[in-house]
Formats: sequence, C-alpha cells, structure tokens
Amino acid sequence: MTAGTPSRKRAFLGVDTGSISTKGVVIDEGGKILARSYLWTEGAPTNAARRVVDELASQLDRDRYEVVSVGTTGSARRLVGAMLGAQVIKNEITAHAVGTTFLHPDVRTILEIGGQDSKIILVENGVAVDYAMNTLCAAGTGSFLSSQAHRLGVEVEQFGDIAATSKHPANIAARCTVFAESDLVHKLQVGYEKNDVIAGLCRAVATNYLNNVGKGKKIQAPVVFQGGVSKNSGVVRAFEDELGMEVLVDPDGHLMGAFGAALLAADTPAAERRTFSWDVDDFEFRTREVVCGRCANHCEVVCVYKDDELIDSWGNRCERGAVRPKAR
Amino acid sequence: MGEIREVRQSDAPRASVTVSAGGARPTLLPRKRRRRDRHSRKKVAFFHYAYYDVAFQFFVEHVLDADYVRLPRPTRRTLEIGSEHSTDYVCAPFKHILGGYVEALEAGANVLVQFTGFCRLTYYGELQEMILRDMGYDDFEMLNFSMVADHPFKDYVSYCKRVVNPSLSVPKGVANMVALLRMVELLDAYNDYYLANAGFEVEPGSFERAREAFFDDMRCATGRSEINQAYRHGMDVLRGLPVNKPAHPVRVGLTGEFYTAIDPISNLELEKKLLSMHVELHRAVNLTNRILHYSEENTRRSIADYVSYEMGPTSSLTIASAKRYMEEGFDGVVHSKSSGCTPEIDCMPVLQRLSRDFHVPTLFLSFDSQTSDTGLDTRLEAFYDMISMRKGRTL
Repeated sequence: MTAGTPSRKRAFLGVDTGSISTKGVVIDEGGKILARSYLWTEGAPTNAARRVVDELASQLDRDRYEVVSVGTTGSARRLVGAMLGAQVIKNEITAHAVGTTFLHPDVRTILEIGGQDSKIILVENGVAVDYAMNTLCAAGTGSFLSSQAHRLGVEVEQFGDIAATSKHPANIAARCTVFAESDLVHKLQVGYEKNDVIAGLCRAVATNYLNNVGKGKKIQAPVVFQGGVSKNSGVVRAFEDELGMEVLVDPDGHLMGAFGAALLAADTPAAERRTFSWDVDDFEFRTREVVCGRCANHCEVVCVYKDDELIDSWGNRCERGAVRPKAR
Repeated sequence: MGEIREVRQSDAPRASVTVSAGGARPTLLPRKRRRRDRHSRKKVAFFHYAYYDVAFQFFVEHVLDADYVRLPRPTRRTLEIGSEHSTDYVCAPFKHILGGYVEALEAGANVLVQFTGFCRLTYYGELQEMILRDMGYDDFEMLNFSMVADHPFKDYVSYCKRVVNPSLSVPKGVANMVALLRMVELLDAYNDYYLANAGFEVEPGSFERAREAFFDDMRCATGRSEINQAYRHGMDVLRGLPVNKPAHPVRVGLTGEFYTAIDPISNLELEKKLLSMHVELHRAVNLTNRILHYSEENTRRSIADYVSYEMGPTSSLTIASAKRYMEEGFDGVVHSKSSGCTPEIDCMPVLQRLSRDFHVPTLFLSFDSQTSDTGLDTRLEAFYDMISMRKGRTL
C-alpha cells in the first residue's frame, strides 16, 4: 500500500463490537470525530467490523488523513483486534470511561446500558474510581427492550416518543426479564393502554438499573447516560425523574466505546504505530474452535485465520493448549 | 366452613418431622463395616485446597501414619461431577470438594477427610458422605472432623484411630502436629512473598517454577528441622530471582470467603491473572491468619467503627483485612466469594462503606460453577486500568 506521506495528518481508528451493534469512529489528533459508523452486529462480528471499516473508509478523506493505530473494544474486541491488527485491545469499561471523560471532563457518574450488559462508572477528577457491571441477568438491557418492542409491534426507536404520550405509566416488575415479560403481557391483557405500558417499561428499566447495577453507589451530578438505550428518550426521562437531576445524553453517546478505543489507540507509542491499510476486504477471516484434548479440562481454543494463515488464538488455560502463529 | 381440610396430592408416604430427646440420631443408615486387614494401611485423601495439599500430605503421612492419595489437578470434569451430584443452590466449594472426592475414590482412596467450619461447612461432610454412598461408592470411611468438633483432644485421637490407624503413635503424632502447624505458617509466609513479587519477574514463569520446586521439597520433609530447611532454601531461591519492580507498584489486597478467595481453581486463577498484570498482591486471608494466629475479639476491635458483632466464619477477618489494606494505601481491594455465601454477602455493605470512607475502589467477584473466564477477565482488566490510571494521576 501507499507509504505514509508526511503531508497526511495522523488519524486513529476505534472499533467497538458489541453483542447487538458494532460502532466505529476515526478521530484526528485533537480528538475530533472524522468518520462514524453504527451497524447491527447480526451475530457476525468479523463481518460487522468489515462493514464498519468500509463505511468509515468511504467517509474519510484518505488523501488527507492516515490511520496510524487501531483500538478495539466490546465483547468481540479480541477477534476484531486480531483481524484489524489492533495496537490496543481494551475492555469496554475502560474505553467508555476514557471516551466520556475526554468529552465531559467534569463528569461524575456514567450510566451505560448496552445490548446485553449495563454498567455504572463513577468518576472523580477525570479518573474512574469505581464501577459495577450487571452480572447474570439481561433484564433492562437493549436486547430486552427490542424483544419487548417486537412483542408490542412497534419499533424500539419509537419507544421514547410513545412513552412521552403516556400520562399514567403502568407499574411493571422488571427485576427479571421473565417476570417483566409476563407482567407486561398481563398488563396488556387487562386493558392497559400501549403507551402506558411502554412508559412503564422505560421506567422499569431505569429503576431496575439503579437497584441492581447502581446498588450501593453514590450517584452524583453531572450524570452522563450512554450506550444504545440512551437513544431512548423515555428511559432518559425515567432516569431524570428517579435521580432528580439532569441526565446528559451526548449525540455521539452510542459511539463512546469506539471513541474511547480510538483515544487509547492515539496513546500508543510511535514505535508500535503502523499505517492501517484498509484492506480487510482483501482477506477472508475465519475462526475455528478446537477442543484441547491434553487434559480433562477440555479448553476451547479459538484460532483466528487470515486466509489460511493462523494469526491469533486464545482460550487455553495452560501452556499445553497454546497454539501459536508461526514466526514470520 | 371453619373446618381445615387436608388436601393430599397422592397417597405416597409423607415426610414428617419429629423432635425426640437425647443425642442426635445418625443420618446415615447403619452399615456393616468391612473387617480391617491388619497388614494394609489406609489410603487417605483430602479435597483440593490451594497449596495446602502439601500440609495435608504431611498430616496423613506423619500424624496419622497412613498413605496419602494425592489428587490430580482438578479439571472441568471435577467440577462437572461435583455439580451433577449437588443441589444447584449449594455453594461452589461444596461442588468442587464433592468432585474432588469422586476423583479421590477413583484414585483408590478409602478414607476421605472433611473439616468442620463455622458455616454450612459443618454439615458438608455428612451430606457429602450420603451423596457418595447414594452414588454407589461404598468402600470408604469419612474422617469428618465435624463429628468431634468441640470435643476434648482425646476424642480427636480416638476418632482418628478408629477410622484410619488404630496403631498410630500419640507422642509421635503430637510432635509432628506441632511441626505441621509450623509448616502451614511457612507455606503461607512463602506465598506472601510470592504474591508480592511474582508479578514483576524478569523471566516469565521463574517464580512459578521456584514455587513448585519449593512445594516438592516440603513434601519430602519428615520433621520440623527439614521443614525449616526446605523453607530457608526455598526463600533463598525465591529472593535470588531477578525482578523488575518499580518504586511504586500497583498494590491490590485480596480478601473474601475462605475457600474461594484462596483456592485458585475456584476463583479461576484470580491471583495469576492479577500477577500477569504486574500487580503486587497481598492476601491476609489464609490458614495462618484465620486459624493459627487469630483472635476474634482483637480483630473485631480493629474494625469497631464498622462492626459490632461476629457475622460469620471469616467476616471479621474479611473486613479487618480490607480495612488494613486501605489504611496502608493499597490501590484496590478485590473481594471474592462463592455466589450465595451469606456471611460474605453480609460483609459487602461494610466493604462498600469502607471503600467510600477511604477512597479505595473495591471489586466484588462472585464465583459459581457457571462463572466464565471472559467475564472475569473483563472485570479485572477494567479494575486494573482504573486503579493504575488513578495511581498515574496521583503520583
């Protein structure tokens, strides 16, 4: 590929591959977003990452900017990181904290509800000091809301507007997805208005979050709410009512993980930087799961291949199960 | 109306509860005991419990004077067997221990040892014996110290004699028991140094190898002087290993439930994961600090601002150690427990308050047989990033 000409400005790529959606941004050295992309993962993280990269490539003026390092985050960070040759592979909590504190240096509390998990991050003087993550249950996350939207026959994107029309939100038990669902069906069957049920659902998401993830945490203003669910104005209003304080939602709030990953990529030392060649379309990425048979633990080792070449592997508990790429 | 009618679903016999005077009735059916072969020695196995395996071996070989069955390293299969034969809601240590017992019996053990504890552990030995017999393993005896808990010393001796070795020598056993306590102290002291420094090894794996060699030396020790010698040699080797330790490393204190916080198989190698992030670790929760040198009154005195009553087996130690870490300026505290461990759940609000008062982040981890490595990795990475960034900002 073309060698980096000195006239081109440096840029950094961040990709956040979550369970439901895949986000990507390209930022310049000042942290300004040059290109953004938001797509559904549809259960195929490598494919989604490829589409995100393509979309970013079409938005970015590649004659002016040269991507010199890549950061990945989200639940498929390792896989996508191997595929993009990322310099930084970070967990989503750190990425979100870094991204949000960059845009809102005075933030004290970050609420985040994504497709399958939710977290709370407490910040003091621009540094995360405490966090919590939901553990087992998916109640009140994005995938729960979209499955309920499907049941109600409305688009999840309309939830906020519909909820705003409700005067008497229904009281829905949202402690557990299964109970919430049966309670919701029950409320509809006994004749509650659909908008009241939807408003109740939004309220339930907020209370469930504060009672589970936010339990024992001291929530202080300014509060920033992000993740896919932050696009739902009904939930935002419910949070504001519950907390009695203003809840900020950044227009790029859903991209914050990718933004944080790009910022972390910008911090990589010059020696590790390598021009990103935008050529993911030229290769085929495959993963193969191998069950290690060297002891009764049966570790599931995931091997990632770029065309037919092994580029990374993980999942082994001990050295015996290690599969290493051939030294080049 | 007004009449209470009994509704029965079936005609099957129903369980009933009665209270009768006198001593407790045995829960296990009386069995015919196999006649002892005078020329065979009993093969004794413990459950898997971190590195204390070394001390268990010494106990069996030099205190009980019997053969020790060393368990293979637990694998996923161990836990699968354990989970399959336990109720779902029992705590994870029960499942780990039960799985270990099955593997011990498969390896030829005919005596299984279970301790007494301060929580439900007291009942585990009896329950596990019942489960194993129901599974069809009948040719074994249980050396369950709950049976003689709070009894005078002579009852312990006669119990060991009855179950394991009728001809065990009491004077020799007592002398070796003293040596055993010393061994436990030294194992913990060695481990303390290991945890504090292994994260900074120059050559990957050098600390782990040295530790394995030390354990092998300890296994060969037959008495007090050899135990001391093995320790001195092991520490010399360990201190001689090259380390690259910064002046202000990230320091994390570990605390939590007595089995899960200590046993690497139960906590998915929590310590190894943190060490690989170049962290200095301290773990005050160990046998030395909880059993050998422990004063409940004094421990609780040190946390008098937070705790008034004893709340469970290791609650006071959990809270006191977390408080000490925080006072000493540690960067973070990690609390691990098996999920559903009531005494440790009770500690969590106190730890949260400590965390707020001292401004030291605390990570709460809960382990059961379903816990995945990935979730733990994400949480640990995020915790490490958080405390190291904070440290970078304050230094």
